[in-house]
Amino acid sequence: MTKRRKRPVRAGRVFLYLSLLSFSFIFLFPLYLAIVNSLQGWYSVPTVLPDTWNWSNYYYATTMIDFWRYTRNSLIISSISVITTTLSSGMVGYAFARLKAPGKNALFMLVISTMMVPGIVTQIPTYVLFNQLNLLNTFWPWFLWGIGGSAFYIFMYRQFFVTIPVELEEAARIDGCSYFRIYWNIFLPISKPLVATAMILIFHGSWNDVTGPFMYLKEQRYPLATALSMIGYKELGSNITINQISIAGGLLLAIPVIVTFFVGQKNITQGIATTGIKG
Amino acid sequence: MSIKENTRRTISFYMMVSPWLIIFVSLSLVPLLYGLFLSFTNYRGFNIDNLRFVGLDNYKLVLTDNDAMPALRRTLLFALVNVPLGSAIAFLLAMLLNNNARGTGIYRTIFYLPSIIPIITTILLFKNILFNTNGGILNTILNLFGIGSVNWLGYSWAPVALLLLMNWGAGGGILIYLAGLQGIASEYYESASIDGANALQKFWHITTPLMTPTIFFNMLMGIIGSLQIYMQPILLTGEELLARPIRPIYFYNVHAFQQIFNGQRFSYGMAALWVLFVVILFISIVVFVTRKYWVYSEVEN
Repeated sequence: MTKRRKRPVRAGRVFLYLSLLSFSFIFLFPLYLAIVNSLQGWYSVPTVLPDTWNWSNYYYATTMIDFWRYTRNSLIISSISVITTTLSSGMVGYAFARLKAPGKNALFMLVISTMMVPGIVTQIPTYVLFNQLNLLNTFWPWFLWGIGGSAFYIFMYRQFFVTIPVELEEAARIDGCSYFRIYWNIFLPISKPLVATAMILIFHGSWNDVTGPFMYLKEQRYPLATALSMIGYKELGSNITINQISIAGGLLLAIPVIVTFFVGQKNITQGIATTGIKG
Repeated sequence: MSIKENTRRTISFYMMVSPWLIIFVSLSLVPLLYGLFLSFTNYRGFNIDNLRFVGLDNYKLVLTDNDAMPALRRTLLFALVNVPLGSAIAFLLAMLLNNNARGTGIYRTIFYLPSIIPIITTILLFKNILFNTNGGILNTILNLFGIGSVNWLGYSWAPVALLLLMNWGAGGGILIYLAGLQGIASEYYESASIDGANALQKFWHITTPLMTPTIFFNMLMGIIGSLQIYMQPILLTGEELLARPIRPIYFYNVHAFQQIFNGQRFSYGMAALWVLFVVILFISIVVFVTRKYWVYSEVEN
């Protein structure tokens, strides 16, 4: 009996590990290629095994274009978005989770349904509006979007806040705390893992956004992601992009995203799992 | 609780949701309707004080010109392949991760990692290193197996290249599927084992039906996302966002976006985007309506 039962189980395990390893290879191989090829000679043919180690490519990636200015722009836009979106979404999520009011359910349906509206349908008329309000080529739009919160994170906070026992806020209510202070002093501090998750995911979203800044900003104010997609690394007078330096620039862009992902990995996986969705 | 307390709570509620409500109305609802309004005018980016109503002219153009509708068909076809493929990959990966294999955490990180890499980095990487016609790695691999080189960014293969690029990040969906899989009570599997069900039967009669709500949600979001793709096709063959991609990957949103920012055809672009909006709404409704035929629900109604 043991012999007959054990063999298929073991074959299954071997198959499982083989599959896990093959998929790992498929997902990691392009990243490996990116790193190796970012270090090769200019205009060289792509390679699997490294020929040389031109670390200077990374130096050129930061000097051939206005790299640090674009990075500063990225940091400004991301900071504005991260801070405003996190706090605002949390507050709105708290109101939806803990306060009773007429019209609440209808409003919540509205929040959920906005997740289905194609972004570009509102982005273009918003561009026309901002143009008339003289808000183009400023960072104000990100501040405004931020204080409006984001449907996905409102939903995420709401899902978490509904699970918190009611005793926690009742005591504070009896002491005469306002609802805002309950959110600020009680709910926000106990949901630190969720706040961290929201901050990291919002950071990824705004750091990686190419097309939003392209629509609303001029080149001087482009963040790094937009700059890398609009401005190629070229030698003076040439119009051939130096692929090796492009890849180096792309990897530099990815570093903050990868680092923050690893820092918050545990929270992120749990956060998304509890919400059940990802935007 | 007193009436006064109720009123105070209502006021607090509306005060606390007001940032969202105000911004939603002014930067989503108003633009949405403003865009609808512009789509009936001759707005071309400079004549905002001198608009003329043109009725349905822009919509007629969108429905009859040589670009928009063929692009829409192309986009729908691409979504029809891309969405199930992406969902299937994410589902498969989640199934693999749900086996308590040693090092599951590491594999999960590896599968998830590509989905967080900035899109522009991914595009540069695939375009310049993998799809490169001059010694690109994918062709090197094909040649290794005795298969001839392929022009990945040419007319015949560009859609396939785009599929590969998009689905390298398919692991982004695994967390949701994993949460769904872990939510299935082990009793189901145990009683099925007692009844002598094999792994395939368990997968087909327990896992799949119980996962349909997750699959449903992922498919719906996937469709909405897929129909809006424009940055990847543009940058896959072009050097910047206003470069026109080759025909097989000239998608609907590419057309709308570039007509507006390259051709200053704002009103035409808005009409095109509203057509897309209606198409997405229609498809979402169809998917929702068909839900009762294939999505498992614990509550029979």
